[in-house]
Amino acid sequence: MNLAEFFQVAPVPPELLAPSLWLIIALPLLGAFICGVFGRMLGRANVHLIACSAVAGAFVLSVLAFWATSHTGPGTAEGTRRLLAFYRNPFGIEADFVRYALAYDYGTWFAAGDFRVNFGLAVDHLSGILLLVITGVGFLIHLYSTSYMEHDDGYWRYFAYLNLFVAAMLTLVLADNLVLLFVGWEGVGMASYLLIGFWYTDPAKAWAGRKAFVTNRIGDFAFLIGTFLLVLLVSAFTRQANSADYANAGSSGPRYTSSLQEKGPLTFKGLEKLAEGMVDTGTDKVDLTTPIEAGPLEGYTFGGVMTAAMLLFLLGAAGKSAQLPLYVWLPDAMAGPTPVSALIHAATMVTAGVYLFSRMASLLVLSPTAMATVAIIGALTSLLAALIAFAQDDIKKVLAYSTVSQLGIMFMGVGMGIFWAAVLHLVTHAFFKACLFLGAGSVMHGNGDETDIKKLGGLRHEMKWTWGTFLVATLAITGIIPLSGFFSKDAIFHGVHHNHLHGLEWVSGALYYVGLLIAACTAFYMTRLYLLTFEGPRSKEARVAHAHESAWQMTLPLVVLAVLSVLSLVYALPLMRSSGSGQPQPVFENFLSPVFGAMSRIANAAKTAELDTSVPSIVDYVKAWVVALSGGVGAAFLYLRFFPARVGQPVPAFARAVRRTAQNKFYVDELYELVIIRPVKFMSFILFRVVDALLIDTVAVRGTAWVTARVGSALRYVQTGDAQAYAAVMAIALLGGVAYALIQVMQ
Amino acid sequence: MVPITYYLLLAAALFCMGMFGVLVRRNALVVFMCVELMLNAANLTFLAFARMHGDNTGHVSAFFVIAVAAAEAAIGLAIVIAVFRSRGSVLVEDIRTMKH
Repeated sequence: MNLAEFFQVAPVPPELLAPSLWLIIALPLLGAFICGVFGRMLGRANVHLIACSAVAGAFVLSVLAFWATSHTGPGTAEGTRRLLAFYRNPFGIEADFVRYALAYDYGTWFAAGDFRVNFGLAVDHLSGILLLVITGVGFLIHLYSTSYMEHDDGYWRYFAYLNLFVAAMLTLVLADNLVLLFVGWEGVGMASYLLIGFWYTDPAKAWAGRKAFVTNRIGDFAFLIGTFLLVLLVSAFTRQANSADYANAGSSGPRYTSSLQEKGPLTFKGLEKLAEGMVDTGTDKVDLTTPIEAGPLEGYTFGGVMTAAMLLFLLGAAGKSAQLPLYVWLPDAMAGPTPVSALIHAATMVTAGVYLFSRMASLLVLSPTAMATVAIIGALTSLLAALIAFAQDDIKKVLAYSTVSQLGIMFMGVGMGIFWAAVLHLVTHAFFKACLFLGAGSVMHGNGDETDIKKLGGLRHEMKWTWGTFLVATLAITGIIPLSGFFSKDAIFHGVHHNHLHGLEWVSGALYYVGLLIAACTAFYMTRLYLLTFEGPRSKEARVAHAHESAWQMTLPLVVLAVLSVLSLVYALPLMRSSGSGQPQPVFENFLSPVFGAMSRIANAAKTAELDTSVPSIVDYVKAWVVALSGGVGAAFLYLRFFPARVGQPVPAFARAVRRTAQNKFYVDELYELVIIRPVKFMSFILFRVVDALLIDTVAVRGTAWVTARVGSALRYVQTGDAQAYAAVMAIALLGGVAYALIQVMQ
Repeated sequence: MVPITYYLLLAAALFCMGMFGVLVRRNALVVFMCVELMLNAANLTFLAFARMHGDNTGHVSAFFVIAVAAAEAAIGLAIVIAVFRSRGSVLVEDIRTMKH
């Protein structure tokens, strides 16, 4: 048995593994429960053991599941081996199998009328990769945390939250429908809120948690509206489509509608079929320009609704993935413990937006407008964040803005249709940014929690492991050949350059140069960060005279992540051959082609985007390399020669004004304060004073009590307690009654 | 034979006198006597009508009223004595516990 065969035969066969997929989520959830409820009684060592082993168990299961997605049958000869890891797509015709994937449906979660949501889990190559990243990097961060959080009183609470986060993130990627994905989406948001505000006794940190929570809610709201639009779109499609539409989608009307009843309208495979059905081939009834005939969306075209839904999802993804205009929470989120920053704000949760769009790639490519918006938003976010990162002095803030910037690059890739490269950058970024954040945590740990890079310096000789790994990760993010960051980032920029959106051709050309500028900026601020922290003499204002290296629990994850951020470059090399054209193809593109196959088919047929599959040439590589290098060298030159930028030393005048603006983050927070928060606060104040305080409190609540009390005090005088007075009243009433009766009789 | 109107007018006059006494007299014992007066006015109407119709139902009713009035007087006097013992007064305007 050679190596390739070994990897093609999973130790646990897929049919056995598919029904057990829920265990991957359940393990960390159980860990969170045990740590959260019994953590205080269990003691440190046991909590560490439970939390780490829960994630380790999930990692092992993820590896098995991932392995099983490429499981082949027992035959050994080339022609007789058969792929066994597939499941029948209920929306398609009999022979339509989803290959390289496992899925299991645990039945109805809830149903209302003809709307139905199933608890279905699926692993294909895309979610498989993310499973490995989440549980793998997640485990390393758990391990790191055992040392980092050793002296914290709330360690058990911390590990419970961390496990909860992992469980929610796994739900997000395992879900086979949008609603279940939303559960994970909200779950990571909640865990993130809990972890950012972990040290809740400090008001600033609690405030940062709330900011993240509120900002995310804005995006989640848009996500929900987008989801509802898709539900309406599916029902409009089933009403209007004819058999040619279903033939386009490789399905038939009865099969599609019966699958809708069985699986609900929001499963990804169903949405993919919807996208295929809308592709224009002439005889079909529904395409992108068809107006919807009935229902709440009457009069709008299918393509228009699709664009609107995608833009709403973009706003949702902007909240979670820190894009314009909702990126402001991420830099503040650094208030949480450093491993949290590494886990949530670099490796997993913030990439959920990229994952969402990759999952829905087949819908996204139907709308060039939405694609262009995604790409432009990504580019603007990336550039803005990179410029802000120039002047930040807090080591974690620089990394946070760099994360925002890198996410922007991924969004550029997603928007321009080069999904595999965006996912690859997601993976490599998870490795090197987690490494950078954990390195920063290690630096803080060894320097008395000092985060101001101007007050560090010279750590190269004192923290050798941290230095080495930080250097590797810095080179990777900078884009120095031959580290992984270079390849993944360059693959995105190459795709941005060569893909064209129909009707919006200028976007790709413009964004390519923005991309090069971003690359140079990234190199500049990362080099600055590295130089100020690790090189040069030790700052005079350092908190401790000599830094100490951290424990092995902290350095081991650093080393593993540094090694991974080098090794993952293999995925970008054109070592495979495309099954269609026979052209050389990057490993990762080949690997993800079962997932993104439908996307390319739809884009080609709908003529919304022209997707280029060429491999970057040496010239492209050299260009990108020169750009990155020039940024880094520029930074090195400036910071080593002109302004070593220590506290107390003068900075050249030309830099001061720019620096002040950048240091204040271009006053974006202040702008939001002025444009949104102040008016909303003012409106709330008016509402509070007029509606709540005046109308409800004074008139309605206190007014009722006032009237009752006044009436009572007036009637008080009637109740004398004198039996004769009462009898007199009765007698007078009787007299009145008699008089009335007499008058009646007389008449 | 005296027409029934005279009886009724006498009964009405007795009743009004009784009611007047109940409403204005201060001494609880006098109030009780006035109540008896009103009851007797009612008895008088019963008897007058019984005689007019020539059957005994009215007589029976009058006996019942007398019996009930005797019982009521016994209880009422007991209450008046109890109040006098605890408060030292039998004036109705001094007894205002119904206020609470």
